[in-house]
Amino acid sequence: MENKIRRYVEGLFEDAPVSRKTVELKEEMIQNLEEKYDDLVFVGKSPEAAYNIVIASIGDVSVLLNQLNNEAAKASPEAAKYRTRSAAFTAVAVMAYILSVLPLIILSELNVPGASSIGLGFMIITVAAATGLLIFNSMSKPKYLKEDDSIIEEFKEWQSGTHEQKQMRKAISSAVWSLVLVVYFLASFTTHAWHLTWIVFPLAGAVEGLINAIFASKKKGGE
Amino acid sequence: MPIASDLIRGHIDAIILTRLLGGDSYGYEINKSILQLTRGEYEIKEATLYSAFRRLEQADCISSYWGDEQTGARRRYYTITQVGREAHKILYGEWHTLKKMIDNLIYVEEN
Repeated sequence: MENKIRRYVEGLFEDAPVSRKTVELKEEMIQNLEEKYDDLVFVGKSPEAAYNIVIASIGDVSVLLNQLNNEAAKASPEAAKYRTRSAAFTAVAVMAYILSVLPLIILSELNVPGASSIGLGFMIITVAAATGLLIFNSMSKPKYLKEDDSIIEEFKEWQSGTHEQKQMRKAISSAVWSLVLVVYFLASFTTHAWHLTWIVFPLAGAVEGLINAIFASKKKGGE
Repeated sequence: MPIASDLIRGHIDAIILTRLLGGDSYGYEINKSILQLTRGEYEIKEATLYSAFRRLEQADCISSYWGDEQTGARRRYYTITQVGREAHKILYGEWHTLKKMIDNLIYVEEN
């Protein structure tokens, strides 16, 4: 019956703009209605009667829908501008990542001593610039957009696990990937077996998956 | 809802602010206390309550936060701000003036 309340409320806000405010309002409403439903059942109402009383107590949501629409209309022009810019930045950064290895490959083919070091230098600079671009992009996100994400993120986080665990997993993940990159270059330059050394990346991916799985099982065990 | 609910609805902001003066609360709890205080004669419709919350929050009269209930769904709690306290004083004063005015306007001398 609780799912029925959720479905009913979701139906009421079907046409509402997709935003943090809408999500929050729905969650708030569902929580309050479910609590009311539980109380009604507790005092002896049948599930059907309780459901009907709860639904009848919602009233006319048109004012609420108007409020949500007005807020969305206010926020959207700036949000759209940011999204376009963000997409462009991300595309450029990804392209830079892909192209960064090109000088390295070309210069190594030349067989000139020291050429691959220059290529490597190019690669690191390009990667650094692309990373900088991505970081700038996320840091310069307008405040309300950040808020928009954070509350929904918070919801997800709350549903999937505690904050500290997430942080730790993130830290481990970034450490693993930095380490993998170092190992990759060390192994490649000492063995010159570039055709083989790339295998560390899929391997690292598998290891990360394993770590995540361990975290997940630990969490389940802890509950 | 036998008593003119439109009349009460006009004072919904003042009613919510008053409930929050007694401490942080959430939608259903506020509605329950209203039902109790009116001896079951008045219950705000959910939609009216939430649009009042949104309005009061935009006017900085209240602020909200999500509770950290470990079991079941999270509640959204509301806190009254300093602006809200001031607004309550004003609304309370206005109601008193209005009450006297209406009393005078619709009073019929008996004889």
